[in-house]
Amino acid sequence: MFSSFRSAMTWVHTWFGLVLGFLLVVIFFFGSLSVFDREIDRWAIPETRFEHQPMPSFDARLRPIFESIQPDPNELAQARERVGTLPEKLRLMNWSAYTTHRDPVLTLYAEYAVPNPSDPDDHVHGHVTIDPRSGKLLQNDRLAIGSAFFYPMHISLHVQWHDLGYWLVGVAALVMLVLLLSGVVIHKKLFREFFTFRAHKHTQRSKLDLHNLTGVVALPFHIMFPLTGLVIFAGIYFPVSQTLLKPLAEKHEQIEAQARGLPHQPSGVAAPLSSVDAMVVEAKRRWAKRGMPGEVGFLQVTHVGDKSGYVSIFRAGSDRVTLVGQAVHFEAATGRVIYEEPPPSAVSGISEFLTGLHLQHFQHWLLRWLYVFGGFSGCICIATGLVFFVGKRKRRHAAEGVHGARWVDALAVATVTGTVIATLGILVANRLLPEGLDQRATWERGAFWACWSMSLVHAVIRSAPVLQARISPAWREQCHAIAGLAVIAVLLNWVTTGDHLGRTLARGYYPVAGLDLALLATAAIALAAARHLRAREATPMPEERDGFSVDTLAVDAADG
Amino acid sequence: MKKTALVVARVTASLLGSYVLVWGFVTFGITLGVAGGMPYDDSQTLLYMLAFLLFVACFCWAFSAKSALRVWLCFAFGGALMTLSGWLLAGKLG
Repeated sequence: MFSSFRSAMTWVHTWFGLVLGFLLVVIFFFGSLSVFDREIDRWAIPETRFEHQPMPSFDARLRPIFESIQPDPNELAQARERVGTLPEKLRLMNWSAYTTHRDPVLTLYAEYAVPNPSDPDDHVHGHVTIDPRSGKLLQNDRLAIGSAFFYPMHISLHVQWHDLGYWLVGVAALVMLVLLLSGVVIHKKLFREFFTFRAHKHTQRSKLDLHNLTGVVALPFHIMFPLTGLVIFAGIYFPVSQTLLKPLAEKHEQIEAQARGLPHQPSGVAAPLSSVDAMVVEAKRRWAKRGMPGEVGFLQVTHVGDKSGYVSIFRAGSDRVTLVGQAVHFEAATGRVIYEEPPPSAVSGISEFLTGLHLQHFQHWLLRWLYVFGGFSGCICIATGLVFFVGKRKRRHAAEGVHGARWVDALAVATVTGTVIATLGILVANRLLPEGLDQRATWERGAFWACWSMSLVHAVIRSAPVLQARISPAWREQCHAIAGLAVIAVLLNWVTTGDHLGRTLARGYYPVAGLDLALLATAAIALAAARHLRAREATPMPEERDGFSVDTLAVDAADG
Repeated sequence: MKKTALVVARVTASLLGSYVLVWGFVTFGITLGVAGGMPYDDSQTLLYMLAFLLFVACFCWAFSAKSALRVWLCFAFGGALMTLSGWLLAGKLG
């Protein structure tokens, strides 16, 4: 089918890049935003705009709140559909609380057993969010746009049916790795191209230069993210331990649990909970002794109120790449240490490092920004690839009356500028919708999807000039929409909360100041892009230069 | 028409065929690791880290190999053979 390895890779690069490029732009974009998910949450939920708080006292502050948590009514209704009637009071299984160095608020979780003969592990959840300074309950129905909307968009595209979203993202990640590899094969002169950006030479040439530049400049970064993302969710993609190897996996799980001495099942005998604060002191002492003093990141009480109950205290990973770990497990009734987890083995050490590289829980603001720019360079790389695809074909398609390039261009508009418009749309809706509105979070999500749909419709309606091999005005018009929406979002934040840039910057409150500044920068870039596009639309496309199409562009070698 | 069939054969081989082979590789690899004395979790983690590198290599080979038929045969037989071996070995260990 192909004459050489290189021509095979060229075909793969062109056509898989086209089909999955749209998805990849979206995944890279929301992944980049997820780097600052907690900060976006602060912007979206103004009553949580205060400094990070360490894990508060369990005995004095958290325990009474844990005891007041109730199972989620929606989950209870779903459980009734599964098993019929439920007992008045469900058995409490465990409590947990998780915090990072970027979380001002603390969410407390509880799990309750559902008596279900066909599934012994069936359970429902309950949770509350508190202000750790006072223990005051915060409204639970506010949409944390960063961590509860943009982040799920990144990992599963909000497609929940049969985990389809995870599979789509997985295929896209795999193809991203293939695109990087095939891209390197196509552009053999990697290092020369690294230093080449002929911005003013020829539109097609500068598009390709930008494609290569953004692809190569962050190549290790672009390889690391899809690969570690796939490893993180490998259990979904290759569920061997839940299927073919289940007996073996379960046997080893039991052996390991026995070695640790952590009871798998409750005993049924009630027992009180001794001081968890004392256990935290002991865990911190042990971490310090190991030369890694730290704070509590995750705290869990398993089999609450039972004689077999135990308390697990995990160290926060703010000062290293790997995530929470170094757990110390205590007997709940006595406070005696049952098991202290040893340093990880070589294999799990490497795996935790890779996972930590992707999830970046560490405290390093410069690196965090580099992650964002790395992610955006990925978006630019993929988007310029799509635009290049159109640019290369639109003249020929125009001559032949074929609509292919027109459709790809419209989809590219909706994926590139449309994604930004939808993102700004949800932020604007977050500030515009009345505080007491019923189902407020649903309206916010609706604003996101509505903006995105409108962007697509607009891109299709305005795409006719592509048929004459000209630039679609949708690009420019949507750039104007981005600039307008971004400025409106900053102004609305000022009007509705009083937190204008002068105040947040003076206070040094960067979660909100940072997002406001990023929004203004977005507006400036969008305006500059719109001006540039207007100039381009006004001048007719120059004729293709001789010698340009075939011998300077390896991409032309074998695609259709 | 023939070209379309060839493209379909290669695209399905690159995604589905590779998946079958990698599934077998993961299954067999985990059981081999456990048989060699590794803890189950470590063995699984190691295989998950290697799985996607193999997947990418298989994906590219599905397009670069001379014969699409040979690609499909290798993936199907290799995947089935390794899955079966892994399953049998797991039975012995479990």
